Amino acid sequence: MRAIGGFLARRALLLVPLLVAVSFLCFMLVRLGGQDPVAMLAGPTATAAEIEMIRGNLALDQPLWAQFLAWLGEVARGDLGRSWVSNRPVLTELLDRAPATLELLLYGVAIGALVGIPVGLKAARRPDGMFDQASRFLSLLGFSTPTYWLGLMALFVFFYLLGWAPPGMGRISLMVEPPPRITGSYMWDALLAGNQEAFASAASQLVLPVLCVAVISAAPIVKQTRAIALEVLASDYIRYARAQGLPPRELRRMVLRNSMVPVVTFVGTELAGLVGTTALIEYVFAWGGLGQFGLNAIIQGDFAVVQGYVLALALFSVIVFVVVDLLVMLLEPRAGARA
Amino acid sequence: MKRRDVLLAGAGGLALPAYLSLTSEGALAQGAGRTLLLAAPGTPEGFDGDALRPGTQETVVQVYEGLTRYGRVERNGRTYLNPAEIEGHLAERWRVSDDGLKYVFTLRQGVKSPYGNELTAADVEWSWAKSFDQKRTGAFIANVSNVTAVKALSPREVEFTLSAPSSIFLSALTLYVPGIYDSTEVKKHATPEDPWALRWMETNTAGFGAYHLRSIRAGEQAEFVANPNYFGRKPHFERVIYRAVPSGASRTTLLRSGQVQWIDRPTVQQVLDMQRDRRVKVEDVAGRAMASVRMNCAMRPFDDVRVRRAMNYATNKEALKQGVFLGTGDIAKSIIPPIVGGYDPSFFSYDHDPAKARALLAEAGFPNGFEIDLLFSNIWWWEEAMAVQLSDQLKAVGINCKPQRITGSDLRARGAPARQDMAFFTFEDGPIVLDPVYTLQLLARSNGVSNRAKYANPALDALIDRARTNPDKAVQAASVKEAQKIWMEDAPWVMTVYPQTFEAMAPNITGWVPHPDEHERWVDLKVG
Repeated sequence: MRAIGGFLARRALLLVPLLVAVSFLCFMLVRLGGQDPVAMLAGPTATAAEIEMIRGNLALDQPLWAQFLAWLGEVARGDLGRSWVSNRPVLTELLDRAPATLELLLYGVAIGALVGIPVGLKAARRPDGMFDQASRFLSLLGFSTPTYWLGLMALFVFFYLLGWAPPGMGRISLMVEPPPRITGSYMWDALLAGNQEAFASAASQLVLPVLCVAVISAAPIVKQTRAIALEVLASDYIRYARAQGLPPRELRRMVLRNSMVPVVTFVGTELAGLVGTTALIEYVFAWGGLGQFGLNAIIQGDFAVVQGYVLALALFSVIVFVVVDLLVMLLEPRAGARA
Repeated sequence: MKRRDVLLAGAGGLALPAYLSLTSEGALAQGAGRTLLLAAPGTPEGFDGDALRPGTQETVVQVYEGLTRYGRVERNGRTYLNPAEIEGHLAERWRVSDDGLKYVFTLRQGVKSPYGNELTAADVEWSWAKSFDQKRTGAFIANVSNVTAVKALSPREVEFTLSAPSSIFLSALTLYVPGIYDSTEVKKHATPEDPWALRWMETNTAGFGAYHLRSIRAGEQAEFVANPNYFGRKPHFERVIYRAVPSGASRTTLLRSGQVQWIDRPTVQQVLDMQRDRRVKVEDVAGRAMASVRMNCAMRPFDDVRVRRAMNYATNKEALKQGVFLGTGDIAKSIIPPIVGGYDPSFFSYDHDPAKARALLAEAGFPNGFEIDLLFSNIWWWEEAMAVQLSDQLKAVGINCKPQRITGSDLRARGAPARQDMAFFTFEDGPIVLDPVYTLQLLARSNGVSNRAKYANPALDALIDRARTNPDKAVQAASVKEAQKIWMEDAPWVMTVYPQTFEAMAPNITGWVPHPDEHERWVDLKVG
């Protein structure tokens, strides 16, 4: 426990310079990107004086370093600023939307891992066999399908042609009143409130976008798990165990146990990496989550939101990696000892 | 088959029907009754008409209505606005002083907001004071219509003072900005730091129009309900659900499948696809804006009028109409679009004539043409296709034109009055007041906010001012005509097409009346 405590403390210390560096890079990229949101904010009838007034109000007439330091100071006090478009606090906007994205991402990657890991392990048992060939083909298909197109096709086939899925218009039916906010997830909030209609609607809205995320995440997980399992299968200790006449069931357990550390690490990387990709799924399904919000802010040049969004993503990635490291310490006691 | 496989198959067999029963909502819109289901790219980012955001304008027009309104005419079974006729709306009648500098409006009796407060002259005074103070869209409208002061004379009488007579004024009052607010309600939410309650207005409305906001979940959905105290005809739709669906492809799918009855901003390609679909009704009207390519009159080579004329001769407008606008829209023949009174296409002389273009270029000292970057963005769907096809056409006269994409916000910023530093770029502009003088003031005057490329002709400015301040209709008409002639000779824009305006709706929706701001009014719509 002490080792874990020390590990977490060191990670927390590293977190601060990491987030400052990410913020700095993001801040500069956004500001130097050539976008000028002032004209959009000022509207089509603005005069030069009004444009300058808005520029002054947003402190965009200050040098870049001064703008960054001012922003950093506010962030340190827990204030991410206000959206220049909606004028609402960025932190509130992000917190409002985070559960929607987390729900999509966590369910999607969980399903992707639950399918991808067993498939990858099974494929590795008989390399180049029928199952391996089929899984490699499907994995390649998953890899090469553009996310946006996958979402549109899923809607076209399962909603439009077959009528099996609800329309891609958000997290709950138009005709259903959302439950009072507790967790931020309509499905869980409806369950907690005992609102069956809202629960059914929220759960059914989740199916298609979650499956899209699952497909996108399963493809690399299958490929990676297969490669890791093949490596483990070729190791001396497995050869030795096989020579000792260990039953196949025990052997599979051994392969699984030894593959788990790199596989868990990979799934963690996937989870962190897919936050950006999920934005496109959110866009197609009108999900109203963090990704859609961030994407919109980038298009509109809403600097404060883009910065807050990137900071939130960076923080999410750090948390995921800390959790992954903790899991690795549990799975692999030697890693814990090293930490 | 193993036990595990049997269990899995059983679970799947049970889960699928259960899931299908959850999702079988059928065509939502058919069962929506008096609720209008609408899919838009996003939810409104606020409800202050003075600080327009992309999604704000679409909804403030439903909430805030003008002191006056355009008359209506029936043509071919459809209702259109009649810009030649201005009638009272929130105001019942008005009287004008002999010098045209004072207007006193008598407000309609019994006009109430959803909060139950009756419209008074103090509401009008407060609303205009807000716009003057904010110095944004409302102040611009006040400025172009010469309004300098607004004062309540009695609870039902309000006086407008003008700095000079204005031909635009009564038309400008049809607009939703400066919006007329229920100031009694708004003031309850004002603070010393926020005297106009702008923060409250981010998520609330307080107008005297047909609808008001009931709730909003940012980025997801806004819900409007009919104003129970509305003074006009009771709207057919008692409730409007305004759902954010950012993907245009998803919006059209939802309309086609009957999940929504109205979608915002379909592209022309989507419209053409939907026109072949019986589950969708597409209606259109001549556009009010011109898709154009602007030439900066203060930058070489466009500071020479011969070059600007040559560019217009070198442009094959019919080919652009077919190739870019897929055969829709009308070829632009005046700075004033056809839906505005006073439109005069008779001065248009720029039929496609590459030989004449080459001769003019040679005369201007460019016998071998020149090189130029054509900047475009993604604000309007037609820009990229236009930039590519026009560049190709210009090659024929020796002009090596390179299309270059910039961001939409950059295009707007660089075309703003303070900068105007682009030499050659695409843009679409048009008036939201159906008045020729307003159009000229906005687009062609040297200080017009939509004159984005330093076009300045003192003779034209003088004509616009004369038309704007002279109450004599004959003088106005003659000035407007002459101004179009001068503008055509000066050729500051490469004229192309007035893009058509389309609306896509469920087949059973009727009553759509086109408005110059290109936003439907929900109060006009009904089923059947």
